[in-house]
Amino acid sequence: MAGQIKDKDAYQRLNYLYQAAHCVLSQNPDNVELARFYCSTQRTIARRLVLRQDPSVKRTVCKKCCSLLIPGVSATTRQRRKKGKIRFTVMRCLSCGHTKKLLNNPDYCLWADRPEAQLEQPPKLPETTNILSTQSFTCERAQPVDQCVLCPGKPRTVEGEAISQRGVDVS
Amino acid sequence: STESLVQATIPFEMGKIVGLQSQSRSQAETSTQVFLKSSIRNFRGADATSPLSYKAVMLEYSRPKKEKVKRRSKGSRMNAAQKRRMKLFTIRPEHQRYELFLPLHHLWRQYITDVCSGLKPTSSPQFLQQKLLKADLHGAVLSVVRSRCPSYVGTTGILVQEFKHVFKIITKENKVKVIPKRNSVFSLEMGGFTSFIYGSRFEQRASERSAKKFKVRGTIDL
Repeated sequence: MAGQIKDKDAYQRLNYLYQAAHCVLSQNPDNVELARFYCSTQRTIARRLVLRQDPSVKRTVCKKCCSLLIPGVSATTRQRRKKGKIRFTVMRCLSCGHTKKLLNNPDYCLWADRPEAQLEQPPKLPETTNILSTQSFTCERAQPVDQCVLCPGKPRTVEGEAISQRGVDVS
Repeated sequence: STESLVQATIPFEMGKIVGLQSQSRSQAETSTQVFLKSSIRNFRGADATSPLSYKAVMLEYSRPKKEKVKRRSKGSRMNAAQKRRMKLFTIRPEHQRYELFLPLHHLWRQYITDVCSGLKPTSSPQFLQQKLLKADLHGAVLSVVRSRCPSYVGTTGILVQEFKHVFKIITKENKVKVIPKRNSVFSLEMGGFTSFIYGSRFEQRASERSAKKFKVRGTIDL
């Protein structure tokens, strides 16, 4: 069962570290250092084993200081305009001041969501069932993080889904 | 009456629809403080007015200094000196409380049962050890069993940070203990199984361990 997804242990570990960072921040939103430590560990593991992180995970980690970006708690999110029409979402890390600019484009489709990305390996039926079971696991473990009300605007379950999405990418 | 409306707890059904929950009083207070601190520039808490009354005003004229134009570095990453200066990873003393790390430990327990595929009492120790080598240990309860330095022996607590040569453990007395891995043996308790970690063989960063292969060697001593 464990051999079906390659690097399953590593993915579980990344998932755990990401959730641990959320858990620490939900306990005390001021404890940025520990969450940052977990996120940087997560990033170095992914870099060493050459694993691809899902964009939704990547966009919530600061590129400069590795801290977890949660709007209203450790980051600010603003809508900016450049030369009239083009609109950006600007996320600013509150601890190091580094900004992330994301273009607002409703038609943009992530590579992971495109059909070509899924076609790299032919899907097998038993594997998909396995992924479903891991999905349920990730959602269960995301629950303690669910309970916190760090950013009310955004439903907390998004992360759990994102991580399981990453699991789908691998297969 | 508006104030009581604002401070009232959200009813359960409404909270379910909106996706919100009321926090407990202390939790709400800390999060408000943190929010104020992060959103207001130069926030000093309660004594915000005191620096105004003591402020000395210089009446001399001084030429405004020209700021040197620094060359912008190309990358967005920080170098090691900057990281050290910013103290990226040191936990501040006000966060060194044991009860803050209990949820982390619960999360770790769920994680380890998931990794060991259920953690049944029938599963073989070799399988668990293989899994444990690649698993993450942040949040586990560690205790020092043997050590060359006898004063470390018996220290028990939740592992908070793992570095290359050192474990940082928070004990129940709200103290962060820094324990070197070399020359000491740690025990790890999980769901009825107890495994020992020989620290001298474990001297890597937490991130390097997932990529490294371990070799079996015969003799292990302190």
